[in-house]
Amino acid sequence: MSLETLQSTFEMHQAMNVEVFYWWCTAIMFMIHTGFLAYEIGASRVKNALTSGMKNILTLSVIIPTFYFFGWWIYNAFPGGLVPGDAASSLPWSLHMGPDVQDMGTGIFFAAFALFGATTGSILSGAVIERIRLSAFLILAAILGSAVWILAAAWGWHPQGWLLTELGYHDVGASGVVHAVAGFFALGVLLNLGARVGKYENGTPMYIPPHNLPMALIGLMMIIVGFFGFLGGCIIFNGGETGWTTIYGNPTNLSAFGFNTLMGFAGGVIGAYLASREPFWTMSGGLAGIITVAAGLDLYYPGLTFVLAASGGVLMPMIGRKLEKMGVDDAVGAVAVHGFCGFYGVVLVGVFAAGFPNVGEGMPSITFSGQVTGAIIMALVGFIPGWGISWAMKKFGALRVPPQVEVLGLDLVEIPARPYPESVPAQAIVENTLKPGQEVA
Amino acid sequence: MNTSPITSWEGVSAYFTFADSPTGIAISLAAAVGVYLLLNATIIRHEKASFDKHK
Repeated sequence: MSLETLQSTFEMHQAMNVEVFYWWCTAIMFMIHTGFLAYEIGASRVKNALTSGMKNILTLSVIIPTFYFFGWWIYNAFPGGLVPGDAASSLPWSLHMGPDVQDMGTGIFFAAFALFGATTGSILSGAVIERIRLSAFLILAAILGSAVWILAAAWGWHPQGWLLTELGYHDVGASGVVHAVAGFFALGVLLNLGARVGKYENGTPMYIPPHNLPMALIGLMMIIVGFFGFLGGCIIFNGGETGWTTIYGNPTNLSAFGFNTLMGFAGGVIGAYLASREPFWTMSGGLAGIITVAAGLDLYYPGLTFVLAASGGVLMPMIGRKLEKMGVDDAVGAVAVHGFCGFYGVVLVGVFAAGFPNVGEGMPSITFSGQVTGAIIMALVGFIPGWGISWAMKKFGALRVPPQVEVLGLDLVEIPARPYPESVPAQAIVENTLKPGQEVA
Repeated sequence: MNTSPITSWEGVSAYFTFADSPTGIAISLAAAVGVYLLLNATIIRHEKASFDKHK
């Protein structure tokens, strides 16, 4: 075998390894959605269990095609701000946007980014269960998952993103571009959507128990499994001598992520337990911990990661309860877990990792002010469209199901199936609004 | 229907159905967008019908 043949065989295998890595990251990311499915079904009451599940399944199914239609183009067209650059090769009619023997990168990166986008939709999904119209939710999910978060990613999670080139913004594990954006988008929607019927009595929040807390806990653990695909997909697998880098081009490796992902999970769980003693918040603490440290996952000393994650785990239930007292009925604590911890995580990099250099001539280093500015921008990029679009939907009466439907339960009204037909009577039968055996089309 | 843009695999780059036919790509893409819009329209109709029954 000649040296040239050997070289070309080696390069082909490197390219294939890149594909294999992101292929499995994408597959593992589906576990996030399996987890959200179980989590949200479990967190719902029996009368809404299947509707929550349908909403979650359809979330993936609308974000994937819309991300193909325009999401991937937004990422490549808008790193400079709000004026699109040349990204013709990312438009859905480009020859790069389909099977191409010579292109072993576009499809696999598209797939990973589409699943990141789907994660934002699932974050919104949990917050709004039991009263949002499925039609309204799917439009909001497509906007969030295929336009809003990816605009933030173009700015702060792209080698030419202006937040990086102007401010030295560092958010390696997407605390800001995915979690803060989705969490604040959800907050904007929740303000217009309002609380579930019965959630507040004379302004005092009432506890609406999940119908299957064990299922919700298992779902949360599945999300953690999926996070390994998500965080793996945040690393750039380069061919040649470069090896692993972050999306910003600085060297890193899976070992760095290995230390800090695990320490983040453990710290978050412990912090949430210390603050709540409650299983739902404790398990959410695992997510909160990872999200809190995700922005600096490549930089932190693991001992510091553990402490920071614990602080996120402690603060998360406090923020959740505070929001609840303020009238924000976030059924799964998504604003606290994703919005707050994502924002907090971006700021923490500015506190504990300021001074780390970025790669490239004239590129600013990480600074506290750059991280705070970036975190605020992420929150606003999420909140403004979330609030604005849901406000318009509310004005047209297209956001929320009618009150009588909410009281009856969405499954009874919308879903031609029952979640537990032989073990748990439908709520309507209990309430004598439907006779046993009577069909509801 | 012959949708192949290639006649041999030698030196092939983009090779998917209609890769050499902008019209074919446009029709496929428009149909894909149509399926997405149909889903939204169907859900809105289904919701309206379901909610009307339980007024």
